[in-house]
Amino acid sequence: MNRLLVVFLSLLVGSVFAHTNEHANLGEQASSIKTSGKVFHESVSIIRKMHPEFLRHKRDKTLRQGVRTDEYSLKGCVLCHANKNKTNNQYHSVDKKGQFCSDCHEQVGVSLDCFSCHRTIPKEGSL
Amino acid sequence: MSNIRFEQIEGKILGFYALIAGLGILVLAALGSVYYMEHHGHFVTGMNNRIVWGMPHVFALFLIAAASGALNVASISSVFNKKLYKPLSRLSGLVALSLLAGGLMVLVLDLGRPDRLIVAMTEYNFKSIFAWNIILYNGFFVVVAVYLWMMFERRMNRFSRKAGLVAFGWRLILTTGTGSIFGFLVAKQAYDAVIMAPMFIIMSFAFGLAFFILILMASYQWTNRPLGDAVVNRLSNLLGVFVAAVMYFVAVYHLGNLYLAENTGVENFILFDGGIYTKLFWYGQIILGELIPMALIYHPATKGNRSTLGLASVLIIIGGLIQLYVIIIGGQAYPMELFPGKEILEGYGGVAQYSTSLPEMSLGVGGVALAIIAVTFLVKLLAFLPESLADDVDDPHHKG
Amino acid sequence: MSKTLNRRDFIKTTSATTIGVATIANGITLTTFAGTNKTPVTNEKRWGMLIDTNKLSEIDIDGMVSACKKEQGWGSEVHSTGNQKPGWIKKLKVKDKATGKVSNLALMCQHCEEPPCVDVCPTNASMKREDGIVLVDKHLCIGCRYCMMACPYDARSFVHETLSNQKEHMPRGKGTVESCTMCVHKIDKGEVPACVTSVNSDAVIFGDLYDASSKINQTLKTIQSAQIRADLNLNTGVRYSGL
Repeated sequence: MNRLLVVFLSLLVGSVFAHTNEHANLGEQASSIKTSGKVFHESVSIIRKMHPEFLRHKRDKTLRQGVRTDEYSLKGCVLCHANKNKTNNQYHSVDKKGQFCSDCHEQVGVSLDCFSCHRTIPKEGSL
Repeated sequence: MSNIRFEQIEGKILGFYALIAGLGILVLAALGSVYYMEHHGHFVTGMNNRIVWGMPHVFALFLIAAASGALNVASISSVFNKKLYKPLSRLSGLVALSLLAGGLMVLVLDLGRPDRLIVAMTEYNFKSIFAWNIILYNGFFVVVAVYLWMMFERRMNRFSRKAGLVAFGWRLILTTGTGSIFGFLVAKQAYDAVIMAPMFIIMSFAFGLAFFILILMASYQWTNRPLGDAVVNRLSNLLGVFVAAVMYFVAVYHLGNLYLAENTGVENFILFDGGIYTKLFWYGQIILGELIPMALIYHPATKGNRSTLGLASVLIIIGGLIQLYVIIIGGQAYPMELFPGKEILEGYGGVAQYSTSLPEMSLGVGGVALAIIAVTFLVKLLAFLPESLADDVDDPHHKG
Repeated sequence: MSKTLNRRDFIKTTSATTIGVATIANGITLTTFAGTNKTPVTNEKRWGMLIDTNKLSEIDIDGMVSACKKEQGWGSEVHSTGNQKPGWIKKLKVKDKATGKVSNLALMCQHCEEPPCVDVCPTNASMKREDGIVLVDKHLCIGCRYCMMACPYDARSFVHETLSNQKEHMPRGKGTVESCTMCVHKIDKGEVPACVTSVNSDAVIFGDLYDASSKINQTLKTIQSAQIRADLNLNTGVRYSGL
């Protein structure tokens, strides 16, 4: 039992420290915002911890109540954090290995279910 | 009945391990099929947008019905105070739990998103019969587990009757819920009938008892424990009565439907011109699954013979699966009446085609295998089976 | 810990990409989209459709079906065969048994006021918005298909295979159930469903059934119309005339 507790706690601690890592793969637009010195997410740690909550809250409001504002929109996340393949100028899916979403989710071992249905790249015409 | 001694089976013989291994392979095959179906999507199955529930649901609902029926033996002893059945109560509870586990495994693993089972456990729509069933199934595990505990634990024995009463009530509601999955569907002509609920209850009596008798006879045979004729003949008679009752309900259901003009189409389909479904109904369900077993049980030449009773039980199980196939697949195959008084020339209609795929079949069989593994394993682990069910042990008033 | 958290902490991006890019580049914190719905929909409206089968040609119906496919991104499934293919909207040819009159019509989710699919759904995934639009919340759908058993209009489809490259406004995925959304993403922007737009005549009218000044309301008051399976008392949002 104690051994399990140790394993559990070390995983917990590990996942906290995982947040402190610099993100290697921010995505096209997100990177350019960052290098320009502008602030998009005021607190990176809050968005890292809370984005599932924000998205869940947003999804219910949009789907069930028809509230279609832009805040916390998953489309927005994908738009900024998607990377382009330099050779053929096509977007990589954000849930593909090594891309923004999956990179972190794999590291902390949390499965990612958004993209079994949602579009994984910015919409047509945004290339 | 303090003179009944319960004891685990030894399970050291080769046969025991062979049985576990054989069934284990079936369960593994089922899990492999699930992986295949879920990885590719349901296009690899025979199911489609018209036949949305296929072979897995036939097996799942059969097992769930049989589960509640298998508890009857215990209920007869505790609710109706029949002493003869008391030694069988523990096994009855075990078979019930195992069959339900098998059925639920099939039902859950056929979902489009089985990974979201947690959603089904946390989000309830109380208008949904399905949501009620989820609660009823989970509750059944708890209620029967408590009932078993009361029977096992000497200090708790005095509560076992009350627990049995609760379990009996619960299983009646559970099967009502299972039948109502279909009974409350207004859209489909074959289903919209309240009689579905009591019909499922009586079906569960027959299927569950057939399973129970097979497991009882096999476990006593294979462990060389004595099993007297008094018990077996009583169960055999009961099985015959249940099968007759199922036939009565089937007759009332179909006659009632024939009387309503809006349902004559689907009735003609099942009873007369439905091709495979008509054949399955008459040859499979009625003759193979009901008339022949009744003859085997009651005919003087075969009455009291354990081999024929075993055969009758197997036929009842096969007939039961066929009955559910006709209800579930046949009911969906017949097109809905979208425009009364009009004929649909194009776009919808016609009998929907369905052919079972191997993974679906394998998943269904895996559910049965899981149920039997659970029983096999648990009778070795805990003292479910009386050491002897010889006539003089079981029934003190028996005149040998 | 989330006390310091305020919605304004986050810059709002917009669904219109060009504006979105501009916004980010300028670092402006708020942009809105004209006509985008910002308050919860209410039951003061009830969206509906009236399909006049006398005016609707077969070509119109084919156009409605392809407009729907194009808008919502279904119909290009590669593995699904026969009845496994999705059918959000279907062309039906119906013949009256007595008179022999043949009518063509488009059949899709009828957006019932009392939807059987919503009643039977164990997880509340099948749902009806306040304004009468019936939807599947795919976040909650476990793929049990009970709603498909319950629907009297054969309006729902199950996604039988893995999909990719979905429309941004229309998430669709393997193992969940889907159906006509009445183009809710367009309605919320003040637009009209794609199938309605595709028909050039007034054979299909879309609007608020409750609004006495709307064309659909006024037309329904003056002509004979019917609901499919009216005997079930589901009070559908999609009505037909000339049947």
